[in-house]
Amino acid sequence: MSTPLKTTGWDFVTTTVDKRALQRQPPADPRVELRELEARGEVKIIPITADNRPIEVETLLGRTKRIPTNKLWHHKSCGQCGNIPGYPTSIMWLMNRLGLEYLDESHQTSCTAWNYHGSGTSNLVALAAVAVRNWHRAYETGYYPLIHCGTSFGNYKEIRNLLVEHRELRDEVRRILNKVGRELVIPEEIVHYSEWLHVLRKPVAAMNRYDVSHIVATVHPACHVWKLIPEDVIYDRTIYGGERPAPTTAILLELGADVRDYSTWYDCCGFGFRHILTEREFSRSFSIERKIKVMVDEAQSDVAITQDTGCTTTLDKNQWIGQAHGYHYDLPVMADVQFAALLAGADPYKVVQLQWHTAGWEKLLDKIGIDWRTPKAEYERYLEELRAGKAPDQLYPPPVE
Amino acid sequence: MVDASETHLKLDPDAVGRQDADSLLRAIQSDIRYREVVHGCLNCGVCSGSCPSHRFFDYSPRVVVQTVLAGDAEAVKAMMDEYIWACAQCYTCAMRCPLHNSPGGLVMIMREVAVWRGMEAVHRLLKPYGRVLLKVLSIGNQLTPDMIQPDFFPDWGPKIPWSSTDLALKRKAIPVYTLQVTSSAWRVSPETSYELYTIYEETGVFRLIEQIDPNLFEVVSDMVEEVRELVEAGRDD
Repeated sequence: MSTPLKTTGWDFVTTTVDKRALQRQPPADPRVELRELEARGEVKIIPITADNRPIEVETLLGRTKRIPTNKLWHHKSCGQCGNIPGYPTSIMWLMNRLGLEYLDESHQTSCTAWNYHGSGTSNLVALAAVAVRNWHRAYETGYYPLIHCGTSFGNYKEIRNLLVEHRELRDEVRRILNKVGRELVIPEEIVHYSEWLHVLRKPVAAMNRYDVSHIVATVHPACHVWKLIPEDVIYDRTIYGGERPAPTTAILLELGADVRDYSTWYDCCGFGFRHILTEREFSRSFSIERKIKVMVDEAQSDVAITQDTGCTTTLDKNQWIGQAHGYHYDLPVMADVQFAALLAGADPYKVVQLQWHTAGWEKLLDKIGIDWRTPKAEYERYLEELRAGKAPDQLYPPPVE
Repeated sequence: MVDASETHLKLDPDAVGRQDADSLLRAIQSDIRYREVVHGCLNCGVCSGSCPSHRFFDYSPRVVVQTVLAGDAEAVKAMMDEYIWACAQCYTCAMRCPLHNSPGGLVMIMREVAVWRGMEAVHRLLKPYGRVLLKVLSIGNQLTPDMIQPDFFPDWGPKIPWSSTDLALKRKAIPVYTLQVTSSAWRVSPETSYELYTIYEETGVFRLIEQIDPNLFEVVSDMVEEVRELVEAGRDD
């Protein structure tokens, strides 16, 4: 290849692979079209109201996104609730500390998108109908949906866009929703919990009891959070010069951690949706070779901080087996919201539920100066009290059964 | 190339089991999402250069896009049998494609068609997936606390037996009412499952499962019937 051609080709790829090139020819804003659809009576928008106390942020294309912070309906994650229970409890615990109103209830299904990506045993209409059913349930309660899972977040952004673009999809989803007594509603914004944490990072960081300037944190941005519908993702010029998504990195900086870069930050975790269950060697190898190893060897990371379900599980659970090949990294893995709750004084066992994590996190807490031995003993006593019939502690009053 | 007027929202229920290569390619290219995931291809390889599966498998998103665009129906059919199932669905390819293609999105359309048409590889590939399917079909959750067992995850280390012992007690110790359960990720109300079953019925998901795994479908059908009776009895009261 001649030098001029090589230069031209390289320039072309490096400028156009950068999504900010979209700024020159931005795609239509689905929220504008959504308002037009509502004006024609085709859909109802779930509005962000003053009660939701929204905070404005800027997304990749410089558009404004409003993030509701109050009166939120928890769209829980099955992977988090099933396997990383300290993830949702940390969110609710922080909301309690901030005096925010929320609703957690049982009339929710998963988005079913993990299964779809892994097995293909669903379809667009089914995914859209499931999404709208959950949105409508939030709508009828008067609370605004806050999506905990990154895959649900990415999937719901895609579904929102497809519903806006395709009348035949709207018609079919409306027909199905009518059969279960529901309507076609679409939220004004699709909002991930990491965005909620991002806009509240200053009040959350104000609760921090510990100096973590000596703690090196590496961030794993979740693929389905920032690579699906990338124009809807929050960027901030003060975070990596606006070159990378701001949520998670920004809260860590606000908390005072030493956030360090590593060369494979953009790589996935190795979850693979079907691979974590059926091609385990891939998940194990990729998570260790491309993420954990690089985080420790390049950045001397003390903790890997995540913002999604499958990533937390994959990075945490796959380290132990690495010892068979001489990898002894044992890097603690937890979500941004768990890290923030810990620093705000949440109990490592009863609230942050670190006992379910596999990689050794105790040394991290020792390095920060958080006592985990006393809470461990208290947790073990608490289990015995529960066994003896004591009613469990709750973050909110449960419904009367 | 399929004409824009021939696009479809749903796969043709009468085409179940049809596996001739031309009809498979037509089903892929007429999906309403096809024009959003394929805009052409420079063959630059940026997608494959950043693809995690490309590092570990004989898999290249560039090859998937090129083969579909070339309209080589037999080669596309061959890919649907195993090749495309290596994709990790991370969408790094979509993030980086200069033409804003989404090879990962194209792979999902191809997987959907492969499953719907009952291709041989699907039965083999989905066999270890039965537990997830049972949960997602019966309660809408995809992972539940009782699925984390040492027998299934021996490579996750010595803490996994702790996670599965005294599970009900440890779940009760989570201070969130909806999470104090073991066989679902959270308490899912029967009314919610009831609505989900209607969605699965109306969108052909139950029919699909009946076709690819009749035994699983039978188990799910019993659970569906039980929940429906419970909810309808409650409505009668």
